[in-house]
Amino acid sequence: MSKISRRRFFEGTGAGIVATAVPLNGQQVRPAAQSGETPRTTIQFTVNGKLQKIEVEDRWTLVEVLRDHLGLTGAKIGCDRGECGACTVLLDGKPVYSCSQLAVWAHGRSIETVEGLSANGQLDPLQEAFIEHDGPQCGFCTSGQLMSAKALLNHNPHPTADDVRHAMTGNICRCSNYNRYVESVLAAAGTLSASARRKA
Amino acid sequence: MNTLKTVGHASPRIDALKRVTGTATYTGDIRLPGMLYARVLRSPHPHARIRRIDVSRAQALPGVKVILTHENCDTVWGSGDTRNKRYLFNNPVRFAGDAVAAVAAVDRHTAEEATRLIQVDYETLPFVLDPEDALKSGAVEIQPGGNLSPDNQGRHEPEVYKRGNVDEGLRAADRIFEDHYTSPHINNAQLEPRVSIAEWQGDQLTVHASTQGISNCHTEIARDLKLKPENVRVICQFMGGGFGNKNQCHDFDLMTAILAKQAGAPVKLEFTRKEDFLAVHGRWPTKQYYKVGVKNDGTLTAIQLRGYSGMGPYRKGTGGIAGIEIYQCPHVERAVYPVYTNMAVSANLRGPDFPQGVFGVESLMDDVAYALKLDPVEFRLKNMTRKFNDETPYTSNGLEECIRRGAEAFDWKKRWHAAPGEGAGPVKRGAGMAMGSFFSSLGRSSAVIDLDSRGMYHVHVGVTDIGTAAKTTMALIAAEELGVPLDKIDIIWGDTGRCPYSVGESGSRTTTHTGYAVVQAAKDLKKQIAERGLPQGDAMLTATANTNPTIPGAARYSFVAHFAEVEVDTEMGHVRVTKYVAAHDSGRVVNPLTATSQVKGGATMGMGMALHEELLYDRATGLPLTAGYYGARVITHRDAPEVEVLWIETEDAYGPFGAKTLGEPTIIPSVAAVANAIYNAIGKRVRDLPITRDKILGVLA
Repeated sequence: MSKISRRRFFEGTGAGIVATAVPLNGQQVRPAAQSGETPRTTIQFTVNGKLQKIEVEDRWTLVEVLRDHLGLTGAKIGCDRGECGACTVLLDGKPVYSCSQLAVWAHGRSIETVEGLSANGQLDPLQEAFIEHDGPQCGFCTSGQLMSAKALLNHNPHPTADDVRHAMTGNICRCSNYNRYVESVLAAAGTLSASARRKA
Repeated sequence: MNTLKTVGHASPRIDALKRVTGTATYTGDIRLPGMLYARVLRSPHPHARIRRIDVSRAQALPGVKVILTHENCDTVWGSGDTRNKRYLFNNPVRFAGDAVAAVAAVDRHTAEEATRLIQVDYETLPFVLDPEDALKSGAVEIQPGGNLSPDNQGRHEPEVYKRGNVDEGLRAADRIFEDHYTSPHINNAQLEPRVSIAEWQGDQLTVHASTQGISNCHTEIARDLKLKPENVRVICQFMGGGFGNKNQCHDFDLMTAILAKQAGAPVKLEFTRKEDFLAVHGRWPTKQYYKVGVKNDGTLTAIQLRGYSGMGPYRKGTGGIAGIEIYQCPHVERAVYPVYTNMAVSANLRGPDFPQGVFGVESLMDDVAYALKLDPVEFRLKNMTRKFNDETPYTSNGLEECIRRGAEAFDWKKRWHAAPGEGAGPVKRGAGMAMGSFFSSLGRSSAVIDLDSRGMYHVHVGVTDIGTAAKTTMALIAAEELGVPLDKIDIIWGDTGRCPYSVGESGSRTTTHTGYAVVQAAKDLKKQIAERGLPQGDAMLTATANTNPTIPGAARYSFVAHFAEVEVDTEMGHVRVTKYVAAHDSGRVVNPLTATSQVKGGATMGMGMALHEELLYDRATGLPLTAGYYGARVITHRDAPEVEVLWIETEDAYGPFGAKTLGEPTIIPSVAAVANAIYNAIGKRVRDLPITRDKILGVLA
C-alpha cells in the first residue's frame, strides 16, 4: 500500500498534534520576515498530461499552485494540514495530500487531478459510478475520494469492500456517505455483489 | 400509498456531473480580479481584557491594506448573540478563538504574517468551562446579569416544561430510577472551511457566502451593516456542508464586507481548519440528571430531567435537551439551564437538542427495561408516544412500525441477549436500539416558476443544496406536479438576486416548506396554462407562490428507530459496529436514492459522536486541545459499517405529496443505539460521551 494513512502520517510526524496545543496565533510564534521578499523558484511539471512551467514562491503548497495559479479548483483545501484528504491528487501515480507537498517538490514530476479523469468528453467509470450510486452529498470531499479510488483501481482493478475502505480511509467525508463511496468504487470495478446492487 | 410518476423513484442528482468532475464552483473556488485575502487574529486566552493593541508593525508590512480591531470597528453581529450585544471584535475576549483583529492584504501569506505582527497586551481574567461550575457563587461573570443565560423575555431562569405533577407520578411508582449523563462539545466539522468573498460596486454589496440560507444571510447582512436590503446580494452556488453552523450570516461575512469597502477591492476571507473548529460553533455540551418512576409492569409514571447546557460566552442556540417527549407519561418535568462558559460557542449541529438528550433518556430507559426484566423493544412499544405530549394527535405516526419492522430486519431476538455482558470474551457482542422523533414543520417559503415557449420550466427557489440533494428534490416535486419529464425542469438556486425568499436549509425544512411552495406555484401555473394556453415567442408565463401552511389541532413529526450490533474488545476497549438497521418514517420519500444516503450518513455520523468525538479542554489553561479532524477523530471509511435503511412510508395529508422531514432525524437515535449495544455486550454502562476505549476499560476494571 503506497498511500500513507491519515493516522500513520500523524504518528510519524507528531507535528500536527503539537500544533493543536499552541495558542491561536499566539505572539510567541516565529518572527516574520519583514523584507517582503520571498524566495522564488521556477519549476516544470506535467499536470494532466500537459507540461507546465511556472515561477512559484518556495512556500507555496502544491494545492495552492493548482488552485490559485493553474485554475484547477477541483482539489479542495479542507484542512490544509494533512488530515482530511480533500486535496488528494496523484503524484507520479501515487495519491498524495497536495496541501502537504510544497510546489517546488513537484519539479520534474507528473500530477493528475480530478479535471484529468475524464478524457475526450468520456467520464471515467468511477465518475459514472459516483453519479449512479450517489457518492457525493455536499461534494466537497468528492475529488479527493475519486483520486484515491483511481489510485487503488490502477494497481488493484478488482478490490474487495475492505480493500476500498483501507485505500480510502485517509479521505474524510463528514456527510459520512462512506457506504455510497465504497459501493461506487466496487461498481466501477465491476466487483459490486449482486445483492448490494439491488439496494435502493 | 399510491404510486406517483416521478416522486418516489430513485433519481441521481441533477447536478451530479459537476460534483464528480471538479467543476462545481464552491465559494472558495471563486477568484475575482484584484481580490485581496483576509485572515483573522484570535484570542489565545479563554477570557481576557485587551489593555492595548498595536497594529503598527503589521500595518508597515508591504502588501497589508486594511486592519480591523475593536478600536476602529464597532459593528454588532446580530445573530452572534440573541441576548447580549456581540461585536465583531469584543473586548474583553471571552473564549480562546474570539476574534481580535482582521487583516486584508495582497495574498494569504502576507495577511497571515500580518496577524502575527499585531501586538496585543492582554490582562488575563478568571475563566470557567463547566456549566454547573459557572452557576456557583463566586464564578466569574461572563456576561452582565450572571451566567444563567436569560430566556427570550430576559428572565434569568431555566427553560421549564411541565405536565401533570411529577411528585405525584413518583409517588405512584413501584420503582424509581435515577442517573446522570454527560455529552461534550463537538464540532460540526463540515469539510468546506469558512470562506466569504465580498465585492462592492458603488453602494451595492455582493457577498459570495458559504451559507445554508441565502435569504437569512441576506437579511442579516443588510441589518447589521445598515444597508438597504435591495443593495445586498448573497450568492452561494455550491456549498460543502454545514450541519447547522452555516445557518446565519456570520461575523466573517460582515468583516469581509467591511474590509472590502475600506480597501476598495474585493476581499476573500478564509479560515484555517483550527479556526473553523473553535471560532464558529459546535454542539452544546450537556449534563443531564434524570429521575424516572415506573410501575412493576413497565408503565411509566413520571419523568424528571434537570439539565445544564454550556453555551460558550455568547447565546447563539437554544441549549435544549430533547428526548423525553418520545415517551408517553402523565407526569413530566424538564428544567434546562443554558449557561455561559468560556468554552467555544455552542449552537446548532444536526438535530441540535436531540442526539445527546436521546442518549441520556434512552440509556436510562434501557436500564429500566433490564431491571424489570423486559425486552427493551417491548418496553419501548409499551411506552412510546402515541400523542404529542400525551394530548395532541399526530398527523401520522409510524413509530410502532419503525420499531417492529426494524427489529425484524435486524433479527433482534437473535442478536440481543437478556443477560448483558454474558459470554467468555475477550471480544463480546451485544445489540441495542433507540428511538426518536423530530418536528416535521410546515411554514413560510416561496417559489417562482417561469414557463418559456420552448417548454422549459424555470423553477426559482432560494435553496443552496448543502448536500441533501435539495435542488433535485425541488425538481422532482415540480416535475411531478406539472406532469412533465425531469429534463424539462431547470432549477435556479442559491442567489438572492435571482431567487425569491426561501426558508434556510436548517431544521430539515426544505422539502416540507419550499417543496410545498413549488407544488403551489406549479398548480397556479397549470391553471394559467389552462386559461391562457402555452406561451409563444418571447412570452412567458410566471407563477408565484408564497406559502405558509398550518395544521389545526395536530402535530406533525417524523419518527425513527435504530438498531445496532457491536463487538467490544474487552482487553483493548475497542468497539466495532457490526450490524446496523435504521427504520424511518418520513412520510412519502421523494427520492429514495438520495434519502437513503441521508440516513446512511446521519447514522454513521452518530457513531462518531458515540465513540470518538470531543473538543477536549485543558482545565488548567482553558485552552482547547483537540481542534481538527485528527483530534476529533471523526468517523473514517475504516470505521463505517454498512447501514441498512428501511422506509416506513406513512400516509400523511400534509406537505408535498405527504413528505415529512428527514435530514436531522437520521442522527437522533444512533448515538443511543450504539451506547445501548455496548451495554448489552459488556454489562456495564458508560454514562459520559464519547464512549472511548479508556472509559470502557475503566468500567470493566
